[in-house]
Amino acid sequence: MIAVLGLLVGVLVGVVLQPDVPLWLEPYLPIAVVAALDAVFGAARAFLEGTFSDRVFVISFVSNVVLAALIVLLGDKLGVGAQLSTGVIVVLGIRIFSNTAAIRRLIFHA
Amino acid sequence: MSSPGDEPDRAPSPAGPSDQGGTSVAGTATVHGSRDAARDDLLGYLSRNTMDADYALVAARSAESGRSRDSRGSRWATAVVLAVFLVLVMTLFTQTTQNADSEDNERSQLIGQVGQQQKALGERQGAVARLAASNTRVRAQLLTGTGSGLIGRVERLGLRAGTVAASGPGVLVVVDDAPNAAEARNRVLDSDLQKLINGLWEAGGEAIAINGQRLTNLSSIRQAGAAINVNFVGLSAPYQVEVIGDPDTLPSRFAETTSGATWFDLQQRVGLRFSMSVRSSLELPAAERTPLRYATVIKEGDDS
Repeated sequence: MIAVLGLLVGVLVGVVLQPDVPLWLEPYLPIAVVAALDAVFGAARAFLEGTFSDRVFVISFVSNVVLAALIVLLGDKLGVGAQLSTGVIVVLGIRIFSNTAAIRRLIFHA
Repeated sequence: MSSPGDEPDRAPSPAGPSDQGGTSVAGTATVHGSRDAARDDLLGYLSRNTMDADYALVAARSAESGRSRDSRGSRWATAVVLAVFLVLVMTLFTQTTQNADSEDNERSQLIGQVGQQQKALGERQGAVARLAASNTRVRAQLLTGTGSGLIGRVERLGLRAGTVAASGPGVLVVVDDAPNAAEARNRVLDSDLQKLINGLWEAGGEAIAINGQRLTNLSSIRQAGAAINVNFVGLSAPYQVEVIGDPDTLPSRFAETTSGATWFDLQQRVGLRFSMSVRSSLELPAAERTPLRYATVIKEGDDS
């Protein structure tokens, strides 16, 4: 499947190239990854439920990552960076846990 | 009686997948009554609406219209996005491990540097003590004859200033925190020690040392966290204060000072421990010399 191909390419590029993150991007990387994780888990759940759509996945992934980075940026400018990113991570964490619980239910009970 | 946060009208939920009738997919989250749910139970709302509602929406719409959901182009887009995601994750992993390594490195380097400088400082201080001792010897050799009066004067002044070791009869005062002292209130504070020392000077003390730290006119007694810094050296309870003075009158004179009264009070109310005992001979070390920065010698002819 093309999606699996994409996964493999990503892992290979990440491991082999070991890209250097530009300094101005570094503070946003962790929360972008957490937001991306949330989108990926939502997509996995949709896939297992049979409602997966590539378009929705791509859009939700990109918007999640960009939004998370923007929220952290805004928080830094306003001076509440730590608190805002804590809130974002809490919400994303709850969503990730719910999605993984649903995935577990779908895999083992279906 | 309605709480101030209630809205007078409960608007119907916006049109969404819940309106799509027969093609509802079991287990998907709906946006039904979202506003009320959010207000009443934030965590429940968060855990119910975890998946993008768009998935159900697009699935329902394409099931209705009969068209297949995605074209090949969008499949490639998914693959690209997944690749990007994994690149992000790997980059973050390698970044974090690299940072952790370099931080560890920095830390051990700093620790090494601190150790080195402390050793160098100890060596310098030893050299200073040796040079001071040889200075005293050379001075004694030079100041013979008419100058011998000067040696006596220097020694008396050194005794008073604390730069010369002293011995004599006196009193040993031991102060300690209250037993089971949990908070700062029940511990010996720097202000308590200062009052004690002032009272001892007032009662006729001629040379004082706390836990081996000789007090000079430039000595500081300052609180630093749980320890008290005397001459910039951290000391902790119990504090042994050696005072050279008249052992017969010092205790009674101390009890008559305001510091004596304050310490009696501290014993009774806070529970600090205080004991004063007479000693027939005490030996106090010299203080490390602190260079004078502002005071200079008045040059006005010779006075003996």
